Amino acid sequence: MNVSGILVVVTPEHIDRSVEMLQDMEGIEVHYRDDNTGRIIITQEAEHIRDEVDGLKRIKALPNVVLAEMVYHCFEDDDELIEGIPPELDEQEGVDSVPPGLND
Amino acid sequence: MEITRREFIKTSAAAAAAATVGIPVSGAVQAAAREAEADWQWDKGVCRFCGTGCGIMIATKDGRIVATKGDPDAPVNRGLNCIKGYFNGKIQYGKDRLTRPLMRMSNGKFDKHGKFVPVSWEQAFDEMEKQFRKAYDEKGPTGVAIFGSGQYTIPEGYAAAKLMKAGFRSNNIDPNARHCMASAVVGFIQAFGIDEPSGNYDDIEYTDTIITWGANMAECHPILWSRVSDRRLANDNVRVFNLTTCSNQTSDIADTELIFKPGTDLAIWNYIAREIIKRDAVNHDFVRKHCVFATGPYDIGYGMRPTDEHAFPAEKDTQAKELKVKLDKWEAIAQRRKEGEVVEQKHRTKAMAHWLISFEDFKKAVEPYTLDFVAELSKGDAAEDMDSHRQKLKELADLYIDPKRKVVSYWTMGFNQHYRGSWVNEQAYMVHLLLGKQAMPGNGAFSLTGQPSACGTAREVGTFAHRLPADMVVFNPKHRARAEKIWKLPHNTLNPKVGSHIVKIMRDLEDGKIKFAWVQVNNPFQATANANHWIKAAREMDNFIVVSDPYPTISAKVADLILPSAMIFEKWGLYGNAERRTQAWREQVPPPGEARSDVWQILAFSKRFKLKDVWGEKPVPGLKAAGYADGTLPDVLAEAQKMGYSPDSTLYEVLFATPEFRKVGWPDPVAKGHDNHTVKALGEKWFPEKALFNEYRKFGVGHAHDLAEFDVYYRDDVRGLKWPVVDGKETQWRFNAKYDPYVKKGDFEFYGPALKALPSGNLDRPTSKEKTSLAGKAKIFFRPYAAPPEQPDEHYDLWLSTGRVLEQWHTGTMTQRVPELHRAMPNAQIFMHPEDADARGIKRNDVVVVESRRGKVKAIVETRGRNRPVKGYVFIPFFDEAVYINKVALDVTCPLSKETDYKKCAVKVYKA
Repeated sequence: MNVSGILVVVTPEHIDRSVEMLQDMEGIEVHYRDDNTGRIIITQEAEHIRDEVDGLKRIKALPNVVLAEMVYHCFEDDDELIEGIPPELDEQEGVDSVPPGLND
Repeated sequence: MEITRREFIKTSAAAAAAATVGIPVSGAVQAAAREAEADWQWDKGVCRFCGTGCGIMIATKDGRIVATKGDPDAPVNRGLNCIKGYFNGKIQYGKDRLTRPLMRMSNGKFDKHGKFVPVSWEQAFDEMEKQFRKAYDEKGPTGVAIFGSGQYTIPEGYAAAKLMKAGFRSNNIDPNARHCMASAVVGFIQAFGIDEPSGNYDDIEYTDTIITWGANMAECHPILWSRVSDRRLANDNVRVFNLTTCSNQTSDIADTELIFKPGTDLAIWNYIAREIIKRDAVNHDFVRKHCVFATGPYDIGYGMRPTDEHAFPAEKDTQAKELKVKLDKWEAIAQRRKEGEVVEQKHRTKAMAHWLISFEDFKKAVEPYTLDFVAELSKGDAAEDMDSHRQKLKELADLYIDPKRKVVSYWTMGFNQHYRGSWVNEQAYMVHLLLGKQAMPGNGAFSLTGQPSACGTAREVGTFAHRLPADMVVFNPKHRARAEKIWKLPHNTLNPKVGSHIVKIMRDLEDGKIKFAWVQVNNPFQATANANHWIKAAREMDNFIVVSDPYPTISAKVADLILPSAMIFEKWGLYGNAERRTQAWREQVPPPGEARSDVWQILAFSKRFKLKDVWGEKPVPGLKAAGYADGTLPDVLAEAQKMGYSPDSTLYEVLFATPEFRKVGWPDPVAKGHDNHTVKALGEKWFPEKALFNEYRKFGVGHAHDLAEFDVYYRDDVRGLKWPVVDGKETQWRFNAKYDPYVKKGDFEFYGPALKALPSGNLDRPTSKEKTSLAGKAKIFFRPYAAPPEQPDEHYDLWLSTGRVLEQWHTGTMTQRVPELHRAMPNAQIFMHPEDADARGIKRNDVVVVESRRGKVKAIVETRGRNRPVKGYVFIPFFDEAVYINKVALDVTCPLSKETDYKKCAVKVYKA
């Protein structure tokens, strides 16, 4: 499970519509908005890192979005990551393996 | 993760994001955020990726990184992170991470043709030592080499340079930064006599005109680009102008996009200079007080080999231009000569030579660069109307010249990776200096960098074949004497002959001149152009290649021995970014398995050599220097004994574990509970990274490269400091009396000491040998347009440029390990114009062959991507091991900087 905090900046006159669109997106919560500057603070929750990156790209592609960048990223208890740690990293188990492809 | 905890984490995430833009959060939210992070330890760090130098915060728990965030206190990024930054916490957890040394073996013994087998560190170093001695004893100091890096931490680069230069007496250490910023260095040294920019990133907020040349900032420096877009959107008067050969994302926010033909940037700059003069806009007061005019030879070749002995048959026509060039129509006009004239390239080994010229001569030199001439030469998009292109050129000149405007110019690889990369860097300063728009808030030409410590380590520490720390060079006797004093070496220990630059190390491997090479923190067998030669050299020649890397890269695959390395937050380190900012981090988590830091690897290897192995008389072919017998480094053992060394002292004792280093104890309160696996693995009680930094610091203090004390960079209230740091204060704008304590007289002083006494001459040659001192002045160079040595023709009919895109970084070694990042740009693509595809019967997503005189690769066609090339031009990102584009690319280098031109060669494209 990945949680990220994202700063989105939209053109201020469109902030209502932008907030609506963001709220309709899966895994996204809108936490703060600043109507004067068009700044919106959201969190995005995603099963996989990939979904999180794709989600950010979708936000960037929304109309009137000037900027959308991740500020905070938590992957505590991230199952994907733990599974992703290869046996090679474990001194007891994977110590003698040679990465595939190295001997091609 | 249970619901409540997840909600807490979200609260934290939102609070952190809100803090970056000053949105207030309630006390209850702050308490919840604290609760969520109660058992995490946060510490500051620096992003591992590009040269921007964004600050990040890293949270660890039980020896693992659990969260990262943009550092809200970092002045560079102010809490933001781009996608690359977001992966700092993940990069070390790749599936194919190397955790043990691997050596090619058969029947339990090293065998160059064997398969990789895990071995112990001891076995690895035993074979490495044996192979090193074989090469060193046979060839001397020039028979061994280190491929260094712009990603070295400062202590790593310093340890590697000291071991090579002071220990092994070899100058064959050169970083991959040669490929990305050597031309920028030459530009700085030639124009100002000292390396690195006068300004800093805050220029973005002070200026009202931002001009990008050959820099796709939107994709490659997104955080700086977010500052540019903030500035543009907040102020109607601000103008953004993008000059490029390929329409890209940077153009999306630019007010004007100018597409030019590859190589004609040289002519465009001269057009602007001519306009400045014609419109009587020269800032005469500034120029008279602070500048001189200069030029140099034009017949300098293209940095290729002077012989076709090693060339593939198809390469020979391009290679022949190294020695003789037939001037085309444009060069003839631009260089005031005749079309068709054959010019022998007589100054190919003296490309850096230059002399003073008069302002009258300078005016005469830029006179041919009229709007008509330059517009016709430079128009890059066949579909664009000539009037529109002319209008844009005029607008560009208007923006620079407007006395009410402040202006910054930014560039990256488009300038630096250029067959005349040093010239085009110098031309940027030419225009800014003529206008007096340099070295002040909001005004200046600024070279952006691509690697996290290309400035801090490769350049400032001097891990180049010709450099010593703090801008000193091996061929200057005074500089050597100073280095020998700080390093406590006998007189004439250091080798005065410049070593092989990174491309030449490859060529030397092919020639059999270098027989041992150690690759550190880079991937040169993927990154060096014309790669088929170098792979052959590594695998088929009698040599030994060691690769230290966390991952199995292409370089690892062609190696004989692979050493598993620790990654950024698994070790202590400091980086220096593009605006002279030095930043530090602590070891956050232990490296996996038996992976170890590069500092440990260098120090451990140094234990295996004694002074008597290296400080006796040594052959250096071609060495000629005052005080040295020709071709020979003297025996310095007797003097070493007088200094208290024994011939049996190890290099470890003499260079690293010195009494002074041992005084820098570990544990150290600066660690605040963080570990140091390098100390543990060495079995020592001193702090190597700090001891190395303390000694390195001596080179710069008092020499305009002052760094702060080690501990200062680790203070909670410090987010890096821009050198020179004098009396605890960083320097915002150099050469400007208001900001720079090194300016001793007047309002500006370009005090860099290098190349500041010159003969005088005319546009063709020096006419007097007598040298004039230019102390305190900057040079305004005239450099002519010269044509690219390889251009599309009937056989290879398209321009090819390579480069970077946002989700990938350099050769992809690290970013590709994170599968998600890889998936964002799944397969290397070839970006091409739809009509070029049509004309070849190719459709979007087809697999095609891209072939040059040197080799071929396959790639997938993209006609609608974010890079939108004009007709006749294709672009391929260079990150993907599956699309090994450097087999195709040309190893032409700028003859001054020896930096490869990855941006221009001719290819054909056909359906696979």
